[in-house]
Amino acid sequence: MSLVSDIKNYFEFLKSNVKKDIRGKYKGSFLGILWSFINPLLSVLVYAIVFPYIMRMKVENYLIYLITGMIPWTFFTSAINTGIVSILSNADIIKKVYFPRILLPISAVTSALVNFGISCIIVLLFCVFGGVGVSYHLIWLPVIALIQYILLLGITFILSSVEMYMRDIEHIITFVLAMAFYVTPILYSPDIFPDNLSWILKINPMAHLIYAYRDIFLYHRNPSMIGLGIVLLFAILVFIIGYSIFEKLQKGFAEEV
Amino acid sequence: MKKENAIEVKNMTKKFNVFYDKANTLKEKIMFWNRSDKETRVVLKNINLDIKKGETVALVGVNGSGKSTLLKLMTKIIYPTKGTVKTSGKLTSLLELGAGFHPDFSGRENIYFNASIFGLSKKDIDARLDEIIDFSELREFIDNPVRTYSSGMYMRLAFSVAINVDADILLIDEILAVGDQHFQDKCFSKLEELRDSDKTIVIVTHNLNSIKKLCNRAIWINNGEVKMDGNCSEIVDAYLKECK
Repeated sequence: MSLVSDIKNYFEFLKSNVKKDIRGKYKGSFLGILWSFINPLLSVLVYAIVFPYIMRMKVENYLIYLITGMIPWTFFTSAINTGIVSILSNADIIKKVYFPRILLPISAVTSALVNFGISCIIVLLFCVFGGVGVSYHLIWLPVIALIQYILLLGITFILSSVEMYMRDIEHIITFVLAMAFYVTPILYSPDIFPDNLSWILKINPMAHLIYAYRDIFLYHRNPSMIGLGIVLLFAILVFIIGYSIFEKLQKGFAEEV
Repeated sequence: MKKENAIEVKNMTKKFNVFYDKANTLKEKIMFWNRSDKETRVVLKNINLDIKKGETVALVGVNGSGKSTLLKLMTKIIYPTKGTVKTSGKLTSLLELGAGFHPDFSGRENIYFNASIFGLSKKDIDARLDEIIDFSELREFIDNPVRTYSSGMYMRLAFSVAINVDADILLIDEILAVGDQHFQDKCFSKLEELRDSDKTIVIVTHNLNSIKKLCNRAIWINNGEVKMDGNCSEIVDAYLKECK
């Protein structure tokens, strides 16, 4: 497959692109890279106040429950939001140099993965000091993150290439992600979801990934193999579809920017 | 593809759609679905070219004749509407210098970044770093951010990276006039050195005197078609006669 050789030949490009993404994002701010953790933490704080006290939500260890949902969700949205414009925002290089264009969405998603990896340290700190503790089930973490990574790659391949021909996608996706946030059990526990709508949670791949993250961080048990397996198959399918759409559309990129 | 060829262009046609008012958003696409304010412009018509390995070829022609488009097609920045363009070996294009330079990063970091766009690994760049810095003559400024560079320094750094990438095929567009006289001479002798090795070079330029010295073959492109192809100085002379 040409994708593998592209990544091998342009590995240095991928690496420096990811470095540039992570370093360049918060350039000029005092707290620098810390903002990528402070931001999700602050929103966790808001929800941690609003839901138990105002909405009277009852979930055990709610703060950790929230964090184990929010951090993977931030990984998901930040990868999509930066991935979708990854080609458009590099228009100047696209018009001047040849390199495999697919590396741009790959590096956007990889930057988000690196950020997620560092954020997991914060999740662990919360687990340790929040009285939940940690267990050997954490060995599943790379597997779950990898499944999410493959899924995100597939999604951003599709979105970033379609974005070049139809700039609306960006705005449509902002709305879709806001909706998706509420049909993913991040703030609430899945059993309060209306029974007649519970199929939405069943077909939502992010819901299954968040169950798995909670299983290993919070409940110290093995994630559901069937759930993860189905999400993995789905992620691979999206990846293959995304790759073939990208390859079809990428020939016109330089003329569309 | 034949073994002795570095670049093969076969029955290649390139058309551009020129939109007068392009619908870029969904709303515009729906509202103006029947609007057909577009014109198809044929930039290159049925081009057939074989460029052999080791040749140094100049593309000449008036503005808008399609020289730069042909070069972009060879780099695979754009793709042909009909026909094929094939290349063999590692290819570097110097279409515009300093693509992807980040103003806040130092010269050294930008060397790494720019060279990695051309597909070099960290080890490759490490090995060439000194050569690149020496060629640019920017050693004392190399750790300053690129935004503090003058435009001449910027170009010198960019040219030094591109020329030291060690590609088999080098595509150059209008950039022989980089920096001061001293640096221009240096670039020129570097190009002569590359010509005398086994590299393939394709140059687009209006500096006809220098290509007469540098190239052994010229292709005159007129209105998207190959008008003449052959010995460099003969073609340059014929082109000059027509221009008068």
